[in-house]
Amino acid sequence: MTDEYKVEDGLYYTKEHEWAKKLGGSMVAVGIDDYAQGQLHEIVYVELPSVDAEVAQGAALGAVESVKAVSDMYSPVGGKVVEVNEALLDSPEKINEDPYGEGWIAKLESGSLDADLGKLMDAKAYRAFLKSL
Amino acid sequence: MELKKTHIYRYHADHGNIVDFGGYAMPVWYEGIQAEHRAVREGCGIFDTSHMGRTWAEGPDTVRFLNYLVTNDVSKLEPYGGLYSVMCKPGGGIVDDLITYMFTPERFLVVYNAGNRDKDFKWMKKNSKDFQVKLTDVSDGVAMIAVQGPKAVEVLQKITKEDVSKIERFHIGEVTVGGEKCLAARTGYTGEDGFEVFVLDSPVDKPDKALKVWDALLGAGAVPCGLGARDSLRMEAGLWLYGNDIDESINPLEAGLRWTVKFKKEGYFIGQKALLKAREEGVHKTLVGIMLEERGIPRHGYEVLSVEEKDIGVITSGGMSPTLNVGIAMAYLPPEFGELGTPVLVRIRKNLVKGKVVKHRPFYDETVYGWKRDKK
Repeated sequence: MTDEYKVEDGLYYTKEHEWAKKLGGSMVAVGIDDYAQGQLHEIVYVELPSVDAEVAQGAALGAVESVKAVSDMYSPVGGKVVEVNEALLDSPEKINEDPYGEGWIAKLESGSLDADLGKLMDAKAYRAFLKSL
Repeated sequence: MELKKTHIYRYHADHGNIVDFGGYAMPVWYEGIQAEHRAVREGCGIFDTSHMGRTWAEGPDTVRFLNYLVTNDVSKLEPYGGLYSVMCKPGGGIVDDLITYMFTPERFLVVYNAGNRDKDFKWMKKNSKDFQVKLTDVSDGVAMIAVQGPKAVEVLQKITKEDVSKIERFHIGEVTVGGEKCLAARTGYTGEDGFEVFVLDSPVDKPDKALKVWDALLGAGAVPCGLGARDSLRMEAGLWLYGNDIDESINPLEAGLRWTVKFKKEGYFIGQKALLKAREEGVHKTLVGIMLEERGIPRHGYEVLSVEEKDIGVITSGGMSPTLNVGIAMAYLPPEFGELGTPVLVRIRKNLVKGKVVKHRPFYDETVYGWKRDKK
């Protein structure tokens, strides 16, 4: 069943189905993965974090809501929110359509990026994790 | 515990996403909640509602019995007429909401909620002792399919021998659908025109007739819809969901169901004394509609606050309205907050989101959506 979900190489994943992508320097983009969007199905609302908010790794970053359910989103890395994807406010379905691209949720600047990413799964490990669900 | 299956289960298992709904294996959606919702507002959707309760009440005292059981006045019905009502506990709390259809003064069909099937039948049975009335639970012997939307007449007519447009709103008729003997009631739970079709003589363990009617409806152009769209549609129409918006702790005067309580009808009805008292004393809370004026989705259980940030109530049903693309909700608030336009706040996680009290039966503009739109 879980084979049908796309896991993109080069990203880092959490057990709660968030992803993080290195953008160069201390910058990182975060979002929810294909499995999470598939479980939620039609996403109709995204609660974005505030720009400049400081979040710890694993702390609440926002929420993604489908017609029937609310899913909290936890930050895969610690850091400061520098940009949020405001396009999602009008088009939350972008997360369903392109979870690793146009469906990104926030960009963070992290002072502990390598250490935080080290605690996450790479694509290979994450594929194995999805199979175990 | 294994989930109970309805007549249409085989189709749900092949095409739908199944959830446990009150012990029944029911589809929450097939292709998607929003598309199914739109199909009903713009065209025609069908729902398996075979999990609901259906009981025949028959005998010389049927009218007297039902008038004792429910708050509305069943004696006003003519043959083939239907009536929405509630039945209450002696203290006035709502046991369930239901529809009674008269065929003759000695034969009625009673239709009630899936989650209350056992409770309601026991309640009816217990209260029927002093009446000459026979109650027969046929929920497992009759399938039920709701055909809803502005094109419901057109779709159902394609596979029905009789002229279905002759069945008036809140009436029922005997029809042959897809070659099978059925009853069709011009009722529903979506706010739209449409029918609830009862496939007679169709046992749940031998559901061929029910599946044949379901397939014929699909062939006639209906879109299969799951419980997700059923919930968002009924919410936009401002209709009560038992267990959320009404239950045994709520009386019909609080729930905006005063119009179903006929104090002056002949004979006593269960709950009459308590409801008369409640009417004299006035209610302490009233069910209102809330529409958000900022982004957010209000949901069941979220707190409602006054603009001074004082707790005033809790949301009983809420969600994103697919038609209006805005958050809508129902909540019990003190009567002083019941006036249309009253500003309120809804606590959504850590945020207080602005909203206001609005007309909610229905939330949408009735000249644009719903069964009245053609009759402007």
